[in-house]
Amino acid sequence: MMIIRPINKGDFDSLCYLAKNTGIGVTSLPDNPDLLQSKIDRAEESFAKTIDSDHAKYVFVLEDTQAKKVVGICGIEARVGLEDVWYNYRISTTVNASTELGVHKQTPTLYLTNDLTGCSEVCSLFLDADYRKNSNGLLLSKSRFLFLADFPDMFSEKVFAEMRGVSDDHGHSPFWEALGKKFFTLDFSRADYLSGVSGKSFIAELMPKHPIYLPFLSDEAQAVVGKVHENTVPARAMLESEGFNFNGFIDIFDGGPAIEAFVNNIRAVRESFKRHALVVKNPKETDEDDMPNLKDSYLVSNRSFSDFRVALVPASSIRQDTIDIPAELAEHLQICSGDVLRAVSLREAKR
Amino acid sequence: MLIVRPSTFSDLASIEKLANQNSAKISSLPQQRDKLSEQIDISTRSFAGDESLAGVEQYLMVLEDSESGDVLGTAGIDRCAGNGHPFYNYRQDEIIHSSHQLNVNNNVPVLYMSHELTGKTLFRSLTIDSKYRGTEYFELISRARLLLVGQFKALFDDEIIIEIQGVLDDDGVCPFWDSVGRHFFDMDFATADYYSAIKSKTFIAELMPSHPIYVPLLSEAAQTAVSTPHPLAEANCQLLHREGFRIGKYADIFDGGPTLTAKVSNLNTVKSLQSKHIKVSESTRGGVKYLISNGSVSNFRCVIGQLTDGIGDVIRINQALAKALNVSENDSITFAAL
Repeated sequence: MMIIRPINKGDFDSLCYLAKNTGIGVTSLPDNPDLLQSKIDRAEESFAKTIDSDHAKYVFVLEDTQAKKVVGICGIEARVGLEDVWYNYRISTTVNASTELGVHKQTPTLYLTNDLTGCSEVCSLFLDADYRKNSNGLLLSKSRFLFLADFPDMFSEKVFAEMRGVSDDHGHSPFWEALGKKFFTLDFSRADYLSGVSGKSFIAELMPKHPIYLPFLSDEAQAVVGKVHENTVPARAMLESEGFNFNGFIDIFDGGPAIEAFVNNIRAVRESFKRHALVVKNPKETDEDDMPNLKDSYLVSNRSFSDFRVALVPASSIRQDTIDIPAELAEHLQICSGDVLRAVSLREAKR
Repeated sequence: MLIVRPSTFSDLASIEKLANQNSAKISSLPQQRDKLSEQIDISTRSFAGDESLAGVEQYLMVLEDSESGDVLGTAGIDRCAGNGHPFYNYRQDEIIHSSHQLNVNNNVPVLYMSHELTGKTLFRSLTIDSKYRGTEYFELISRARLLLVGQFKALFDDEIIIEIQGVLDDDGVCPFWDSVGRHFFDMDFATADYYSAIKSKTFIAELMPSHPIYVPLLSEAAQTAVSTPHPLAEANCQLLHREGFRIGKYADIFDGGPTLTAKVSNLNTVKSLQSKHIKVSESTRGGVKYLISNGSVSNFRCVIGQLTDGIGDVIRINQALAKALNVSENDSITFAAL
């Protein structure tokens, strides 16, 4: 059984293992034990509400309860850029025109901004390669929207996700080569690591502050602006299907897009509903063979802040007034019959 | 004898020939006859002291072989760079990108669009027939302007600027332009250069990028070209350097070529100028070569001649020299060592 729950101290080893396998480009999960420990500490404080909610960072894990193994991680940063400085480039348009000469030239121009300051970020998504099946990725990613749906006061009304930009197998990012690297001698992978360890702002101090005319960058760099790494294409498509849009904000290092949505416009928030749980004893055997049904499954959360849980149930569990929850799942969700759950279809209903 | 004098309409055809002959392009000397004729008209009125031009005078002098009447070179002065309009340059500056945590200090060169040189006195349109390149007559046509400016300081700004032709290869490819201007003007260097000679400068304001330009983002060839003179302009640069001009922090917006600047009063020629009354002699023997000019603006003349300078404020010159300078007994001349 796959369950989403808040991270805790006991997950340290699993987290270290995951961090070793992320590869370059996942700045939020650097392979650095001290940093991972502080990440866990901060998440625990966040769920316990012992730190200012503006500085909270919620980290959830996906646990395989049979294997007793943490196989995925995801997070929500309550408000970015309130401690350090949050930077993005915004792609803007400069028009130079001369009617006398019949020239009308549009030049994409990158402006360094702090425009996303104060917004909430869904981040840190990583799933063990062995578990990239059976809708685990969707469960991991979308579980956060149920958290946002129940606790809007803890977050900004706008949420965004930074998507990993284009880089090759050796960690070379064309955007970095054409821009960041010109301003200080550091490999992309090193810059990427440092930004994960110490935050981006201190590297941003070295980045150009004046607007950058895009034609000054190499063709390769221009081509990857706002584009995601091929491994991230499905994640982007998923978020876009949930209502996230690309509005021209890109990462200052690799040029990958930051895509945004208003929380109340996210499909999984908008379409989610509250319904009472009905704990049932082994309703129907749900085993691995039932997986095709997962396509029609629903996310259900227990609506608890500090003991937040999410799991998938088949569509057939959703009744007129109740949601059927098998006893074993009820235990993992920490609920009893009569508790109010929040549910939403895993995918947008076909219309 | 080779004489520098104000240009006249009769020089039109020969100036045109010179402008086309010049392999290092002189964009401030138009190759189009009507534009050239307009410049000669303004120059004639400027030398004549036309009050309607007050503040924006433009002078164009020619180097003439008085025997053959051939025009062998040109040199121009704009009283006021931009001639009443904004005068564009890139100002080179440096931004230090520093991170305490990373222990990094990077000096990043940046080009800022600037109008700061607007209104300074601009030396321009220096050309010389290729046969005379490298001779003392190149110095004559170039430095004649300093004799004019040095004698009539009130007519000019106290700072002089000279734009030096930037790097451009034989095929007309300009690396600085291709890396900068081309993106915004959507045309090649030759076309932009052509427009800049014949059109008002409004199009520059309309098309030029207004944000600072980080030099490290330009092509390597363009980075090298910033403030680098065209190889053909080297000799002139050296002469100007000896004179006291220095490569400032300004570069041309089109080709990235350097801009030389100097205070009038700091220039060697100006500092060494002497004025004396003349005594015309049948003949004079020996002496040292000087650049000599008369004391007139409207009838300005400058030549190379031999003088024996002595104590007192009277100096002897021979009749040929007096004739070339258009001076007679008791007039004063101004001279500086060649």
